[in-house]
Amino acid sequence: MADPEHREEEEAPAVGDDEDTRAQVAPIVQLQEVAVTTGEEDEESILDLKSKLYRFDKDGNQWKERGAGTVKFLKHKVTGKVRLLMRQSKTLNICANHLIIPTMSVQEYDENEKSCVWHARDFADGELKDELFAKSLWKHSKKLPSPRSKWMTRMHLQ
Amino acid sequence: MALPQQQIVNYPTFKLVLVGDGGTGKTTFVKRHLTGEFEREKYEHFYTNCGKIRFNCWDTAGQGKFGGLRDAYYTQGQCAIIMFDVTARLTYKNVPTWHGDITRVCENIPIVLCGNKVDVKNRQIKAKQVIFHRKKNLQYYEISAKSNYNFEKPFLYLAKKLAGNMNLHFVEMPALAPPEVAFDIAAQESIEQEICMPAFQPLPDGDDEAFE
Repeated sequence: MADPEHREEEEAPAVGDDEDTRAQVAPIVQLQEVAVTTGEEDEESILDLKSKLYRFDKDGNQWKERGAGTVKFLKHKVTGKVRLLMRQSKTLNICANHLIIPTMSVQEYDENEKSCVWHARDFADGELKDELFAKSLWKHSKKLPSPRSKWMTRMHLQ
Repeated sequence: MALPQQQIVNYPTFKLVLVGDGGTGKTTFVKRHLTGEFEREKYEHFYTNCGKIRFNCWDTAGQGKFGGLRDAYYTQGQCAIIMFDVTARLTYKNVPTWHGDITRVCENIPIVLCGNKVDVKNRQIKAKQVIFHRKKNLQYYEISAKSNYNFEKPFLYLAKKLAGNMNLHFVEMPALAPPEVAFDIAAQESIEQEICMPAFQPLPDGDDEAFE
């Protein structure tokens, strides 16, 4: 599905986006602030990259975009287990959440140093599902190791 | 339209009515919020600093093509999104009709007008030509369901209004610890083969600039 993609930033309209028209509507509920948790409190981030995640849709035999946002490798401070957690930007909902285990194999997917593919039993929806993922990584500076190589090294080290 | 049975949950659910001409991108927009592309159910969940909320999204699924929708579609709607396509003038011209249909059935509910497909180069309706929302006190956002531009804004605005809290914002969805997976050599081998399979399928034309 080769669609001509978007130019997120440069299409930003000039109009005041957040202008509130002061519509007078009565709230349906009155919600107050509550304590919130991320679920990441006992972990430290050992890798943090912006990327776009795709999952392979077997029925349609095509890649489908799962989300775009930040992907992190989180290492548990006590058990030392490492998981991959990706959140959609802005809404902060979860796109992928799975353990990184030694048997997992990550493969390069294209030649331009950007994407790789791997399989995981993913827990993003709160139930384990087999998913084939591919990610396309953020552009990088030539001087630094590419995000993909960092990513792949990290993935294989676990 | 077949709607899932409304489950009882211990957090607020808001019925959202999504209208607009066919082809304006309503379904794509809703799917964007459902764990990426999939359509699980028409509930969209968000985690906020005021707790978890969800929208029960009523999407016309093309039924609006032949004149209006049944009143049942709008009944008990608590908020609405009217979508038009900035590359198709007629879809903007029909916005007042959609607005009239909503307000005929639903009393004063928060409504967001969305101009979709702002990623497309040839716009027929420029931002400054969009004026309908001013007359009716609607919120207006330019969005691109394809590139995710402003995709969270309509829901955020509606959530603030419905919750009576303008400080409401999205927070991290709690990330549960994924369970251990037993290693299975046979399964692993079939997976290895599978990884080779889609190798001929190129990734959709990714746009990395969007992240920079």
